Order: sequence, then structure tokens, then C-alpha cells
Amino acid sequence: MSKRGFALLFALGLFAAACGGGPTGTAGPKHGGTLRIAIGIDPDTLDPAAQTTTTASQIVDMMAETLVGLDSSGKVVPLLAESWTNSSDGLTYTFTLHSGVKFHDGTAFNAAAVKFSVDRLLSPKTFKPQPGVLRVIKDITAVDDTHVRFTLNSTFPAFVAAMTQTDAAIISPASVTAPGNTPEKITVPVGTGPYKFMERMASDHITLARFDGYWGQKPNYEQQTIKIVPEDPSREALVRAGQVDVIVSPPLSDLPALDKDPAVKVLRAPSDRTIQIIINTVDANVPLLQKPEVRQALNYAVDKDTIIKSVMFGNAVGLDAPMSKTLFGYCSVGSYPYDVSKAKQMLQAAGASGMKVKLGAPTGRYPQDIKVAAAVAGYLRDAGIQVEGPVTSDWPSYLAQVNVPPAQAKFDMHLLGWAPPYLDASQQMEQFRADRIPPKGLETSYYHNQKVEDLINKANTETDANQRAQDYCAASKLIWSDAPWIFMYNQRFPIVYSSKVTGVSSTPNEKFVTIHASPA
Amino acid sequence: MLTYVARRVLVSVPTVLGVATVIFIMVRLLPGDPARVMAGLLATEEDVARIRHQLGLDQPLLLQYLGFMGRLLRGDLGTSTRTGDPVLHEILVRLPYTAELALVATTIAVVVGVAAGILAATRRNTWIDLFVSGGAVFGLSMPVYWLGLMLIILFAIQLHALPAAGSDDPLGFVLPSITLALFSIALVARQSRSAMLEVLGQDYVRTARAKGAAPRTVLLKHALRNALLPVITAIGLQFGALLGGAVLTETVFSWPGIGRLLVDSIFSRDYPVVQGIVFLLAVAFILVNLVVDLLYAYVDPRIRYS
Repeated sequence: MSKRGFALLFALGLFAAACGGGPTGTAGPKHGGTLRIAIGIDPDTLDPAAQTTTTASQIVDMMAETLVGLDSSGKVVPLLAESWTNSSDGLTYTFTLHSGVKFHDGTAFNAAAVKFSVDRLLSPKTFKPQPGVLRVIKDITAVDDTHVRFTLNSTFPAFVAAMTQTDAAIISPASVTAPGNTPEKITVPVGTGPYKFMERMASDHITLARFDGYWGQKPNYEQQTIKIVPEDPSREALVRAGQVDVIVSPPLSDLPALDKDPAVKVLRAPSDRTIQIIINTVDANVPLLQKPEVRQALNYAVDKDTIIKSVMFGNAVGLDAPMSKTLFGYCSVGSYPYDVSKAKQMLQAAGASGMKVKLGAPTGRYPQDIKVAAAVAGYLRDAGIQVEGPVTSDWPSYLAQVNVPPAQAKFDMHLLGWAPPYLDASQQMEQFRADRIPPKGLETSYYHNQKVEDLINKANTETDANQRAQDYCAASKLIWSDAPWIFMYNQRFPIVYSSKVTGVSSTPNEKFVTIHASPA
Repeated sequence: MLTYVARRVLVSVPTVLGVATVIFIMVRLLPGDPARVMAGLLATEEDVARIRHQLGLDQPLLLQYLGFMGRLLRGDLGTSTRTGDPVLHEILVRLPYTAELALVATTIAVVVGVAAGILAATRRNTWIDLFVSGGAVFGLSMPVYWLGLMLIILFAIQLHALPAAGSDDPLGFVLPSITLALFSIALVARQSRSAMLEVLGQDYVRTARAKGAAPRTVLLKHALRNALLPVITAIGLQFGALLGGAVLTETVFSWPGIGRLLVDSIFSRDYPVVQGIVFLLAVAFILVNLVVDLLYAYVDPRIRYS
């Protein structure tokens, strides 16, 4: 019996080998017409109005489109809207919509559908809606079929950029009562996108089919299947074995080997995510951290370039501002080159030699997060600082530890990443405003500089784009010298895809774009 | 017999309720705010508060507990806070996948494990025994995660013979089943070896041999039947454990089972789903225990009447 069992398995294996190894095996895109993608997280929901992660929203983007989109450089471009105008007081935006656009269910896309979808995003009845900054919308009017007017509660110059978020995607009003959907919760998004929902198997895959009635450039693949593969090494194995065509986030340590593998291509896509060691600037246990010169010294003490090269395997770029280059409002403001003797001198002058600090970092939230924190701790020890940690935990526990008011702070420093979803400096500046100290927001450095806050508030409502950028730049300079963070790096978003596929791109908010991919 | 069954079932009820209470408390002892974790870093305070309210997490704990127990008594495990779908539905769509792996792995384990155990026991202190015992130690101590990746590298990347992950390929179950089975094979092999050794030293085996029964009959009829009882218990419990989802195996092989759901739910602090899975798992264990006890009672009348 046991022999037979083994023999059966062995035969199965041989049979599979015969099938898989042959020239007809592992049906590539040329034959199947299906692009196979592997991502790491099972999307919690495909409801556009409830999107919280780029992982899920990049899939929703293929089905449900927004009025405006982002191109691969992060610039706002027309999508369902041809153009838009802003009133002189900055409170009214009027979008002109494409005509002749159809939803997947055959109904017509029009201004009423825009109003319906955005009202739904703002409605408290929707399940876990994510209006965020779009709560600024006071009223939406469908002027006629192709014109829709948004009235805001206050001036919000980043409004058009904010409308690129998947949460503001437009769905067919008729579809909310279609099978699988309720007005509160959408599981089958019926939008105007190039692909329509075909099937979903929880924890396993989502399949999209080409929408033949698409109004724009038609996609090449008949289907795209997104497999859920939680482990980084497993995703890497799949793309190397030719069993999927596109993966995101392979293990960074394998990037050099993947670069050499002719079967795959590696795209180190730009991202807007900054990684930083956030310093408690009002630290009662280590009051020395309240001094800007001590915090500057910490910036000199850490060799960011070596960490990028050796711990991040080149998958990041150094920072020269408190935000990534891809944001509106970015300007280069300075650098803290690695100089341990300078750091020691500065620490000594401030009476901070031998200072004791506790460092925290999450495990598994960002690529190499805990290892980067360990490297930082090593550099700080080299500069004579006594570091406890890095103390680590899983992400939800960690978030609960750092998302606390100053009096309950657990760490003197902690690692955190920040990625503005619509590439505007106002979103990064949420990290430098004292009115965002937890629980109001997540400004966990507790940093406060009234000049910075005034500049941010001014820029956030400034309608002149040039002036706005200048204000953010001025704020960035002050932040850089106040150093509430050890400015670490801007990480990249690695995408690995089969050499048999071409046309894979990305947007700088960590989304891959495979809509117009095709067999190479 | 019937009264014995009824008594055993009744005794299980407080255990089940106790388990439910302990789970309810334990998931809430985990640090982390579900509403904040789900809303994301950039969510405003209002967004987080709204989500907390929608999920009923702003209610007093006692009220949440009474709601949970009340629903449980009506057979309702609640609604997933992550997806908004009924917990029972979330579990049921994944259960077949977990059951498939558990069944295949257990079958492999029983066939290979029992055979190896008998072989090792009858050839005690030979190279076969050494090989089986050594193999069992290997199987018990091999990290599933590493083993899974090695199998993927060998069979998927090098040989292009089997799918590396997923359930859509008909052969997708092969690698995860083998990975999962290895630990169980080792467990069963060790159990059967020691049980067989014990039985083989009994007087009745010597008697059977002395009266001239064929070695094969002695082994299979006299020894094995008596040795199997503790092995069945071990297999039953192991099967129960596998039904709860093999977290690591399912993760490495992207298998859409209960274990993955449990991990996803823990990381998003989806209390109702974590409660639901652990609860059903506890019930499954209680049932397995019950069935094993009843089997004992069936086999051994002394248990029935005591």
C-alpha cells in the first residue's frame, strides 16, 4: 500500500514533469491571452469608496476609473474628465466629462453617475468609506450630462490631485443593486475601466476580463488574473518558474540575482514613500532630544548611503528634503552626509555623549524595516549613543504603540514610512503639524514650529501654484534643519516581470500599471 | 451506550461556551486598534471614528460580549470587520481547501507513517530502524517554511514539474500536501513504532508465536490491531490540528485555506473572524476527542459502564 502510494505520487510527478517541461507547457501570454500577476495582500474590498491600500486600489483602478488620473511621472492627467476649471475664489471646480462612455453594464456614464459615486463616498451609510480630504466637498451638482460641479467648504488647491484617488472612482449607479452589491457595500465594481470584474476567489485570485466597450485605448490581454501570494520568496519563485508574468516586491536580497536572470526584467519603480527614524522632539525621558543640534548630530551619525546599498540592496534613494522628489511642492533643501566625528563633536557640545535612547521599528511592514533599524542602532552606537533596541512587533501592535499622545510615548525614536496617495506636499506635511499629534493624526515626532505650521497652512489653501510650491519649499528648509527625523531614504517599488511581457509601468504612489501590457 | 453519548455531549457544552469566552477576551488583549489599522495611516480622526462606530467597536466591552454570545447561541458567528461578509461564509469558502490538504496529508501520513513504524519496530536496531527513526527526527524538526521553499525551488524552478503556488492548477495540492504530510508522517511513524514495540513484547504475542501462527498473522492480526489504538488517537488529533489550517504551509504555497484567513484576520485585527475560526477549531477538537472517546467505549466495554 505504501509502495503504491509512493508510486502514484511519483507517477504524478513524472507526468507533470512531462507536461510542464515540454515546449507546449506553461501557457505563456501569447497562447492564453491572460496576463498573470501576483501580489502579496488579499484585498479587503474592491469597493472603490473603501480603498485604503495601493495593493487593492491598483486592481480597482483597472475596473473603475476616476475623473483624473496620474501618469507614470506622477502628473495629473485627464481620464473620465476631458478638462476642468476652477472658479476665481477657488471654491468651485467644474469638470467637463467625456461623452459616449459606457459602464460595464451598458448604462451611460454621465454627470449624474459622478454625483452618485462621490455622494456615496461621502455618505456615512457606506461601509467603511474613506473620503479623507474629500470631505472638503460641500455639494455636487450635475449641471448637464457632461458637466459636473463640485463646491468646496474651503479652498483646497490639491483638490484635482486628490480626485485621482481610487476612492473617488465612478461606478454605475444601477450596479449598486446588481447581484453581489448593495448601496452600502460593493463587491463587484462596475465602472468604465478597460477591464471588468469576472470572478474572485477569496485568498486566491481575482480575474478581470477585457471590456470590449471601453472608450479609450483597448488593452491587449483578454484577461488579467491577480493571484494572492503572501510570501515574497513564493512570488519570486512563481515568476522565475514562468508560472506568473508580473510580481511586486520580491525579496530585496534577491534583486541582484534577478537582475542577472534573462527570463525576467526588474523595474525599480519610483515611489513616494519616505522611510524615516522619527525622533520624539518633546521627549521627557531624554530631554536632550528636544535640542535641534542633537537631532542634527543623529542625522550625521547614520550612514544612509551604506544602508541603502547593503541593507536595501540599492532599492532606495537618499533624501535631500523631508519628502520624495515625486511630490508637488518638493524642492531640494540639503543633506546630512555621514560624518561620525562631526556627530560626536556635536553630541559632546550639546552634552549628549553617552545619551540613552530606545528605538522601535515594525517587522514586515516595510522592506527590510527591522534590519534597517538595527543598522541605524549600530551607527548610533558608533557615535557613542547607548541604544536600546530596535524593539519590534507586528504592524498593528506597533502602530498602537506609536500612535499615542506624547505623555504615553513608548520610544525615543521609531521607524515609520509615509506615502502620500496623491503626490502632493500637503499630505507629507501632515507629518510636521502639531495639530496632527495623535489622536488627531499621526505626527508622532510631536514636532512643533509655528513658522512651519503657518507656511503649511498658507500653502494648503494658496491658489497660486508657484507661491504654493515656494511655501512648501520654505517649510521644508526649516524642517530639514530642525531635524525631527533622521532622514533615511525614499524607497523604490520593485516590480519583476517576465521577459515575454512588455509595457509594464507604474505610478509613483506604489501602483503597478499593467493595463496596456502586451506579449513582448 | 446512548446515555453515555448524551452525557459526553452535555459535558462538552460548558467547555464550548468557556472556549468562546476565552477567545473573546484573548483577541481583545492583542494590542492594536482595528479601526485605525483598517483605515490606514492617512485617515482622518473622523474617518477612524466612523469606522469604529460602524464595526460596533465603540460599544462597551460587556455589550460586545453579550452580542457575541447571543449571536453564537443562534449559530451566527458575526460579520467580518475586514470584508463585511458573514464570518461563517468567509470560513466555509476556504474550508474545502484546508480539508483537502488535511485529508491528503493525513492519508499519506497514515499509509507511510504506519508502514514505516511497523517496519522499524520489527527490524529493531537494524539500519532500517535507524533510517526510520532518523527520518522521523528530520521530519519533526524540519522548519516547514524552509522545506516548502526548497521543494518549490526544486520542483517548480529547477524541474518545472509542479506549480509553485496556488490552487487553480490540478496539481497544486501536491507540494503543500507533501510538506504538510512530512511532519505527520514522522509523528505517526514514531507513535506506531513505539506502540508496536510495546505490543510485540506482550505475552499474547509470544503465545501466538508459540502456537505456530504465521509471522504475518501475528504481526497484523495480533500485534497491529492492539497497537493501533494510541496511533488512531494521535492521527485524530493531528487531523483536527490540520483542519484548523496549516498556517505556514498555506502561506508558503499561497493555498486559500483557513490558516491564511486566520493570519490575515489577526494582522487586520478582524476580531469576529479570529473568534470564529478559533471557536470552530475548538469545537472540532472537542468533537474529535468525543469521537475518539466513543470509539474507545465501543472497543472497550469497561469504559462504557464505569
